[in-house]
Amino acid sequence: MKLKKLLSLLLAGAMAFSVAACSQDQSVTNNPDASSAAASDAASSGTDASDESARPTEPSGQLVIGTTTDLESDFYDASFNNTATNYKLYNLLHGYGTVVSDIDGAFVYDPTVVKSHEEVENEDGTKTYTVTINDGLVWSDGTPITAKDYVFQLLLESSPEMNQVDGYPSQAGYSLVGYDAYFAGETENFAGVHLVDDMTYSVTVKAEELPYHYDITYASAAPRPMHVIAPDCDVVDSAEGASISGEFTADLLLKTINDPDTGYRYNPSVVCGPYMFESYDTASRQGTIVVNPNYAGDYRGVKPVIEKIIIKTVKNDTMINELASGSVDLLFQCSGADTINGGLDLVDQGKAEKNTFFRNGYGKIQFDCSQFPTDSQNVRQAIAYCLDRGEFARQYSGGYASVVHSYYGLAQWEYQESKTWIDENLETYEKNIDKAKELLDADGWNKNADGSDYSGTGTRYKEVDGELKPLVIEWANTDGNPVSELLATMLPEAMTEAGMELKATTMDFPTLSACISHSGDKIYNMYNLATGFALASSPWYYYSTDPVWMQGGYNSNWIADKDLEAAAYALKPIAYDDDEAWLPAWQNFIKVWNEKLPDVPLYSDEYYDFYSTRLKGWSSSSVWEWSRAVLDAWVVEE
Amino acid sequence: MGKGRYLLKRFIYIVFVFFIISILMFAIYKSMPGDAVEIMLGSSKTTMKPDAYAALYEQTRQRLGLDQPLPIQYFAWMGNMLTGNFGYSTQYKKEVIQIISAPMMNTVMLNICAMIVVFLISIPLGIITAVRKNGVFDKVIQVLTIVGYSIPGFIIALLSIFLFAVKFPIFPISGLRTAGMDAGGLAGLGDQLWHMVLPVMVMSVSGIGGITRYVRASMIDVLRMDYIRTARAKGLREKTVIYVHAFRNALIPVVTITTWWIIGLFGGSIVIESVFLIPGLGKMLIDALMQRDFSVVLTMQMFYVILSLAGNVLMDIAYTLVDPRVRLEN
Repeated sequence: MKLKKLLSLLLAGAMAFSVAACSQDQSVTNNPDASSAAASDAASSGTDASDESARPTEPSGQLVIGTTTDLESDFYDASFNNTATNYKLYNLLHGYGTVVSDIDGAFVYDPTVVKSHEEVENEDGTKTYTVTINDGLVWSDGTPITAKDYVFQLLLESSPEMNQVDGYPSQAGYSLVGYDAYFAGETENFAGVHLVDDMTYSVTVKAEELPYHYDITYASAAPRPMHVIAPDCDVVDSAEGASISGEFTADLLLKTINDPDTGYRYNPSVVCGPYMFESYDTASRQGTIVVNPNYAGDYRGVKPVIEKIIIKTVKNDTMINELASGSVDLLFQCSGADTINGGLDLVDQGKAEKNTFFRNGYGKIQFDCSQFPTDSQNVRQAIAYCLDRGEFARQYSGGYASVVHSYYGLAQWEYQESKTWIDENLETYEKNIDKAKELLDADGWNKNADGSDYSGTGTRYKEVDGELKPLVIEWANTDGNPVSELLATMLPEAMTEAGMELKATTMDFPTLSACISHSGDKIYNMYNLATGFALASSPWYYYSTDPVWMQGGYNSNWIADKDLEAAAYALKPIAYDDDEAWLPAWQNFIKVWNEKLPDVPLYSDEYYDFYSTRLKGWSSSSVWEWSRAVLDAWVVEE
Repeated sequence: MGKGRYLLKRFIYIVFVFFIISILMFAIYKSMPGDAVEIMLGSSKTTMKPDAYAALYEQTRQRLGLDQPLPIQYFAWMGNMLTGNFGYSTQYKKEVIQIISAPMMNTVMLNICAMIVVFLISIPLGIITAVRKNGVFDKVIQVLTIVGYSIPGFIIALLSIFLFAVKFPIFPISGLRTAGMDAGGLAGLGDQLWHMVLPVMVMSVSGIGGITRYVRASMIDVLRMDYIRTARAKGLREKTVIYVHAFRNALIPVVTITTWWIIGLFGGSIVIESVFLIPGLGKMLIDALMQRDFSVVLTMQMFYVILSLAGNVLMDIAYTLVDPRVRLEN
């Protein structure tokens, strides 16, 4: 783990050098500035580090953050509203989770919150996590935070009463013993949750949820202000588990949480995060938060020193102009050549600063592996060999992207430790039409339409159950999507040369989504989409052959491959801190994935944050996003 | 009596057309591919266990009444709408009535400002160009109005942003409020108006082009009439001839445009709202459509249907006001 952290600390710089150092996961940059862009992160960090002494001790100034996703008036959690901007604001308002991700993306107990913790494996296969929180934590209104607030969250957000508030999922305690009975309303006590004392709670995880690589997250809870949400209620404990006493009803929650004017969901008046909610302007969709003077700090003890943060919607086409005009101070995760080049021009002119990192995910061609003919591994590989992915990434991103070859993100520590291994062991699928032809021949695609041997031109046919079937790939894409447009330019000719026919259908995203989940009118062979890796990336669900996980939307490739499933499932029981066991299992998984090829990874963007020269101490990454990085930053008046 | 019967017949017609359109709209939107519940639940699909998600999905369908046969859904929707319950927005997870007022205010305010600018400029301009027909001034205005009328709004919008917000940063690039400005009252209103200058200017360009030409053509027709010649022969002042005798008679076609413009006050412009990032009804409608948020879409569409049908009646009444020869009869 230490090695992992050390490596991760060097992530930005190492990433830049790795990209430039002829690794197979090479940058496709065609911009002379771009190769140094990633490396400049380290340089700018160095500058910021030297300015660290200038960091004010008291909060001051304001920061206007431009976002391309509208902010909505919903600040409870992602179960009510899952737009990206709201989720980030949620992180800034609601703090003190007992388990958090650190700057490297690893899950840790937050020492600012957690005084001690204990894990006990029970004889019945369950596991109990006991967590004691620190004294002295308070809500923004000064009310002390106790273990009751944590237990209240688990009870509230697993309860049938909360489920009646706008269909809230009430899934917080899903993995805990007694959840089913509690959620069904069969009992008022949640057997798997206990209030041990004023500062200690415990949770017991169901045996069937174990072993689980990220099991530390089971110990996670975040406080909710019981004195605001259920003011006349209390949390009590018994041998049967914890429960909420008093008039705890759906009607109460509809008033305290869901009231459009005063409800906690829309007006989180008492919070415990680094910032407090100040206002949301419905007419302009701007949100304003101000620093919480009672915040004790993040897991490192860092408290924010930017007094006010304003979230403002910007448009991709004009956001660099907004930065230049001073109407916003920060644009985060910018991608695309036009935007990045515009931002770099501002940097060159001394009007802005930059921070760059690679996206922890990629754009891709996603195959539906349940459909003929993309149910064939050879066909999927042949399609991959028809595309010059490096050139594709270069043209799509204007040079600000990299290409990966399997199911991994460039910000993952496993990738950092496996670069040489990846170079030696993964197929890179360089464009090779002859190779594509070989694969198709080997797969039986060697007939003409009339049943004679394939002539070498035109669409190939294959005899399936006595019937000749053409090698036609049905591709569904969305309108106005530059990836679709570029694929439509680069792919069909090469596929035709290899003997495949690509049939494209353009539709809107909801229709495409219905096709992917097999609930639409038609199922296609391939789609172009994008994916990002969650910190708790769980491939064992995504490649499970159990139809439940396919129909449930996890295995969206609908791939039923026992080898891939086995390689993914081998990861699940490995202990979270057992890097030595995890890394080879992970490498095996991405190797099997690279062979089975349920997706063709196309590009992994190089993201840029552009920000005003007023903003100092800025350093973010794909696993340390702006809502975390803002705690270290400060603003100066110019 | 004739007027009353006419209005009654028109009312019955409106009710009939309203229900027919409501059935058509409902059928069209419900037949669109895409699952509103799946879109509403969003990433829950891959953050919840499949069995839990399936239960939540079914529960949500039932809560929204989407598990019912379509005819029952239609009657439930229509019954609710007629009693002022416009349904639940699956996108915003709020009642439609709670989310529609702010964008409507933005749209109406923008359109009113644009309408005032357009009419203040185009009507006098139309009259002057008609009176000075084929003069240099008229020809220059003819060219300019054709240009204004022909160039797509988004091009004018981008050009105006480049000129007046980027090259010469006089106005803000987008939005309706200065970020962080903590001002209400006049200062707040002033800030909002300042943000609206560019969008209003862009919206006005094509309006001025069109209406100026419309007024000009109408005035030219009227100025050829015998009664105008008679008025001049009687020795009336030219201003009286133009503004009292000619302009009132030229108003009939203008009334048509004005009525539609007033109805259009509630119609958002997706182009303007998207380019200038103004949360208005146009963007809301498109977003709702893309998110299969049918309560929002149907509410807005039916609102526009009522406006259009009522607008026709209003237009007829307006004709009688500007032209006594027009009677509201069958």
